[in-house]
Amino acid sequence: MKNSNIKKIFATILEPIAFGLLALLFIIPSITVVNLEPLTKKLKDLDVLGVSEKAELEIEIVGGSHQIFSREKIKEEEEGIFSYTTTITRRDSDRYSKPILVIKNNRNQESKIEVYGHTNLPTKSDISLIIDDQVYRLESPSGDVTSHKILLAPNGEYTVFLAIESFSDVQFNEDFELEIRELE
Amino acid sequence: MSKLLKRALKYALVPAILMIAGKILGIFLVTVKYGYPIEIGNDINGFFSTQIYFNDAAITYFVNSVSDLTMLIVISVPLIYQIVKTAIFQSTMNNPKTIVKAAKFNILSWITKDDTTFLQTFVWCAFLWLTTGLIVKNGIEGDTYSWISYLASALSLLSGLLTLKIFEIEIDRVYPDSKKYY
Repeated sequence: MKNSNIKKIFATILEPIAFGLLALLFIIPSITVVNLEPLTKKLKDLDVLGVSEKAELEIEIVGGSHQIFSREKIKEEEEGIFSYTTTITRRDSDRYSKPILVIKNNRNQESKIEVYGHTNLPTKSDISLIIDDQVYRLESPSGDVTSHKILLAPNGEYTVFLAIESFSDVQFNEDFELEIRELE
Repeated sequence: MSKLLKRALKYALVPAILMIAGKILGIFLVTVKYGYPIEIGNDINGFFSTQIYFNDAAITYFVNSVSDLTMLIVISVPLIYQIVKTAIFQSTMNNPKTIVKAAKFNILSWITKDDTTFLQTFVWCAFLWLTTGLIVKNGIEGDTYSWISYLASALSLLSGLLTLKIFEIEIDRVYPDSKKYY
């Protein structure tokens, strides 16, 4: 009698744990597989003796997690043309910013780049880039898109911030695309 | 603890391990075969603590696609085997010709023991749906070839329908159709 009571109590305790374990057997592989998805990043040059800095523009994604900027990607469309994309998720009215790219000018002379960025749908948000405390407005709340030419100092390294400001809540996600073109 | 829950836990363990193993295997096989430079990072971003880096977007796209395909294969092949085995086993009960055919193809061992249960097939099918969900997500985000997403969706749909069919036959065994037996 006592034994069966103990068994019952154990069963009552163990059953929810077993359900949790079963759920975990589905959740853990999913998270692990998402975690294992390969990413693109400029790898460290391990060839110490033959290190050769290529005289070109180098753009690296900063990455990391952010409240509203997700699924960040960078790719080189053609020689000297880079495309950065991100999804800006639904958000409350406020100003948000995030470091998105690191641009390195490996040349011994000045380089000029042109930046042009916009969302697929106008969202009445003010979207701008901040480079060296200088603000470059890409898209105005009315949807006007402006391109900017930026001069990069020889062997200069710049952290590019993406900033977005909206005065009303945005209830849907939007895709943002930034094109960076090397001019000279 | 109920027997059903115990068995579900037992059956879920292998596909859970295989799913992760398939993804890792896919990544490392391609990396080794083509000699792509790879770097493993451990920055902590929310849930994620390990990152696999390649230095080119095209390589990342290719490796991710192959690893998704490997993951799909390691989950779908055992499931298809279970479905075919159950179908043959159930067919032998109604049709002696199937036994002859099974002997001809040297797969009599498939029908000597009914060790594939509906629960096992259902659990594997659930993992295939989970795998498909992840692959389709990657397909939509442009991280994997779209044809792999289509293949995964087609396999999931077909496996789902066949699992449902197995369930109907199993139910018929428990509650026989009145027209058939009476």
